[in-house]
Amino acid sequence: MIASANRVRSAGWLVLLGLCVAMVLVLAFRVNALRSQIHRAEARIIALKQDKMYLETEFETRANQQQLKVWNDVEFGYAAPDASQYLEGERELASLSVPDMANTPEPIRVASMDDRVIASAAFPAMVSPLSGKALTSANDTDDSEAQVRRARMDHAEAVVTLKDRLGTVVEVAPRKPVRTETVSEKERAVAPAKKPEKKVAKAEVSGKVETAKSDKANKAGKANNPKGDKTKSKQAAKETADKPAAKKAKARAEIRAAGRKEAKATG
Amino acid sequence: MNALTASTAIASGRVRLANVRQRSLVEAKLRVLMVAFLFLLTGFGALARIVQLGLFEEPPERRSLAEALLPPRGEIADRNGFPLARAFPIYALWFNPKALGADGSSLVKSPEEVAAALMQVFPDADFNDLVQRLKSDKPSYLRRRVMPEEANRIFAMGEPALEFPRENQRFYPQGSLGAHVLGFVDGEGKGHVGMEKVLEKQLLDPAQRGRPVALSIDMRVQGALEDELGRGMMETSAKGAAGIILDVDTGEVVALASLPSFNPNRSDMAYNDLVFNKVTNQVYELGSTFKPLSVAAAIDAGVITDLSVRYPANRPLEISGFSIRDSHDFGDSLNVPEALIHSSNIVTAQIADKLGSARMKSTMAALGMLERPYIELPARGFPISPRSSGKGGQWSRLSTMTVSYGHGISVTPLHLATAYATLVNGGLWRPATLYKVDPANAPEGRRVFKASTSARMRQLLRMIVVDGTGKSANAAGFRVGGKTGSADKPSSKGGYNRTSVVATFAAAFPMDKPRFVVIVMLDEPQGTVANSFQRTAATNAGPIVGRVVPRIGPLLGIVPDDSRDIDISDLSPLVRNGDGE
Repeated sequence: MIASANRVRSAGWLVLLGLCVAMVLVLAFRVNALRSQIHRAEARIIALKQDKMYLETEFETRANQQQLKVWNDVEFGYAAPDASQYLEGERELASLSVPDMANTPEPIRVASMDDRVIASAAFPAMVSPLSGKALTSANDTDDSEAQVRRARMDHAEAVVTLKDRLGTVVEVAPRKPVRTETVSEKERAVAPAKKPEKKVAKAEVSGKVETAKSDKANKAGKANNPKGDKTKSKQAAKETADKPAAKKAKARAEIRAAGRKEAKATG
Repeated sequence: MNALTASTAIASGRVRLANVRQRSLVEAKLRVLMVAFLFLLTGFGALARIVQLGLFEEPPERRSLAEALLPPRGEIADRNGFPLARAFPIYALWFNPKALGADGSSLVKSPEEVAAALMQVFPDADFNDLVQRLKSDKPSYLRRRVMPEEANRIFAMGEPALEFPRENQRFYPQGSLGAHVLGFVDGEGKGHVGMEKVLEKQLLDPAQRGRPVALSIDMRVQGALEDELGRGMMETSAKGAAGIILDVDTGEVVALASLPSFNPNRSDMAYNDLVFNKVTNQVYELGSTFKPLSVAAAIDAGVITDLSVRYPANRPLEISGFSIRDSHDFGDSLNVPEALIHSSNIVTAQIADKLGSARMKSTMAALGMLERPYIELPARGFPISPRSSGKGGQWSRLSTMTVSYGHGISVTPLHLATAYATLVNGGLWRPATLYKVDPANAPEGRRVFKASTSARMRQLLRMIVVDGTGKSANAAGFRVGGKTGSADKPSSKGGYNRTSVVATFAAAFPMDKPRFVVIVMLDEPQGTVANSFQRTAATNAGPIVGRVVPRIGPLLGIVPDDSRDIDISDLSPLVRNGDGE
C-alpha cells in the first residue's frame, strides 16, 4: 500500500516534470518563433531601407543638377527671382495698397447664400442603383448635422422639399420650416410639387434614382411612363405642401411604398 | 548445537538485514542530496545565464540590423544632406563562357552578332575588343557599370553567358558635378584626388562610416557655378575655367569648380589631366584683383589717409629699367577711388612704393599668399612670390610695385578668395574648409585689416562695380562689389605673352553685409563674337559673376533688394566716370 502510494507520488512527480518540460518546450518554441518573426521583420526592414536607398539614388541621378538644367533650358525656362518678386514683411506688403481717393466707388459686395441648399437640390445625395439607399461617402466625415442629413436625403425628398428648402436661407432642415405658410402660398406650392413627384415615380420604377433630373427629364419621364402611381404621389405631394412638418414623413413613407409596389409589379 | 546454529543464523540474518536497510537509507539520502545538488546547480546555471543575458549580452537584432545597413564605404553628402557619393550596388556586365556548359559554344549566336547587338546598347564600346572577349574562353567584365535599362536590353538578347552581377561600387548621383572636390574611387576601392582621398580612413572605419560626412558644398550652388562657368568658357573659347564661392564668415567653400571636369563615375577613365584642380593647385598671376588688397594695406598702415589725394597717372612709371604702364590713358592724375575704378597700375604702384616692401610683404604673408592654401584637399599649389633680396629678406622696390597690381606673384584662385573674404568680412583671415561649419563654432581667425579699413574697402569695391570696370557683374538687387583682373600670362621665352590672358573677377555680395565671395577665372579666353572680341575680365569673367549671383543668392538666403545698398555717397563725388581695363 505504502509502496503503491510512493509509486503514485513518484508518478505524479514524473507527470509534473513532464508537464514542466512540455511548458518549457512550448515557451522555447514561442520564443524561437518570436525570434524568427523579428528576424523576418528585420530582413524586411533591411530590404525596404535598401530599396529606399536605390530609389532615392535613382531619383537623385535622374534629377541631377545638370539634367535639371537641361530640362529647364528646353522645357520650363524658369529664371532666378528678381527683387520685385520679394516682399519683406507686412510693412512692404501694406505699402503696395493705395488709400481710397475721393469719389472712389464703394467696393462691390456680393451677398452670399448658403449654397449647400442649392447643391442639395440640384445634386441630391448619391443613391445606390441596386438598393435604392443613399450612399454616404467615406470622405464625407464632416459631422455637421446638415451634412449628415443631406447625405441621407434621397432624391424624392430632395425634390419634394425643394421649395421649402429654397425658401429658407440658413436652415437646411426640410422638416422645420421657419415660416408659417399662407393659403395662397399653399396653393402655389402644390403646382410645382407635381412634376417632381412624377419623376420620382418613374425613377423608382426604372430603378434609376441616383441622378438629378431636370424638368425636361421629368417631362420625358411623364411621356414614357404614363401609368405611374400618379394618384398616390399627387396626394402625397399635396399633403407635403399642406402640412409640411407632420405630413411629409407620412408622404415619404407612401412614396416609398408606392415605389416598392411598382418595382414588384415591373420586376 | 542445532539450536545454536539456527539462532546464530537468524541473528546474523537480522544483522545483515539491518545493515542492508541502513545502507540503502544512506544511499537514498545520498541520491536525494545528489539530485538536490544537481537541481541547485541547474538552477544556478539558469540564473547565471539569465543574468548574463540580461546584463551583458547585446540584443542580437540591433547588431545585425546595423551591420546589414552599414555601407562598405561611408557616404559623402552636401551641406543640406543630399548624397554626393555613396556606395551603391551597380550592375556590371560579366561574360561567363561556362554558362551553357563546359563544352560547346558559349554563346547562342555568333560572337560577331552579339558584339554588334552590344554596340547598339553601348555605342562607345570597341567592336573588335568585344568580339575578342566573346570568343575567348576566359570570363571577363565586358563593362563595369550598366544602367538598369541597358541591362534589360541586353537581357532581352537572350544570351545566358551575359550575366549581371550586382557589385558594390562608388556612385556619384550628380555625375561630374563637384568632381574635383569629391575625387573618385578606383577599381580597388581606393580614394583619389579629392575628399575621397582625404577621408579614406574615416569612410572605411566601421565605427564612423554609418554616418554621412557633410561637406560645406551646396550641390545647387555648385550646379549653378559649374553651369555658368561652362557657358562662359564656351562663349569665350577659353582653355579652362575655375570658380569658387566662399562663406566670408566661416571660411566654408560653398562651391568649387575647375573646368573642364571629369566623370568620377568612370574611374577607369578618370585618371587624366583633367583631375588637376585649377582652384587649389594651379597658380596664376591674378593681376588687378590684387589692387584692392594693396590699397587696403596702405589704408590700414596709414599711408593713405585722404582718398582725394591725386597721383600722377599720365606717363609710365620707370623703375630699374622697367616701365609700369596702364591699358589706357586715364588723364593727368587719379585719386585712389578712380585708380581702382579704372584699374590703374601706375597709381597702385606708387601707393605700394609709399607703403614699402616690408609692410607689403607682411600683409601678403598675413593673407596666406606666401604659403600653400589652407584647405583639406591634397592638391594644393605652392605660390610663386618674388625672390627676397636686401635686408630682412625684403622684396625689391620693383617687386613690391608689381605685386601691388598682381604681377610677379602667382597664387591659386583659392588664395585670392580667402584674401577677399578677409578684405570684406571686417578684416579677419580664416582658413578655407570643405567641412560644414556651425556658424557658432567658426574659427576665430586672425586680424589682418582693421574693421574700418574693411568697411572702406567694401565701399570701394562696390564703386568699382557701380561705376567702374566691374559693371558687367552688377546683378540687380544683390549689391555686388568686386574687382576685375586681366593678367597677361608669362611666356615660355621670358616676359609676358600679350595674346594669352588670365581673366579673373573677384567679387563679394551683398556689399552692405558681405556673406559670400565669388571668384571666377577664365584661362586664356579668346576674342569671340560673344565677348565682342575682347579678352578682358570685364567682358568675360564679369558677366559670369553677374549671372551666377542672382542664381545662387536666393539659394543661400540672400534676397535681392533694390531699396538697399551700401552707402557710397561720401566717395561718389571723388569719381569722374570712365572706362578702364
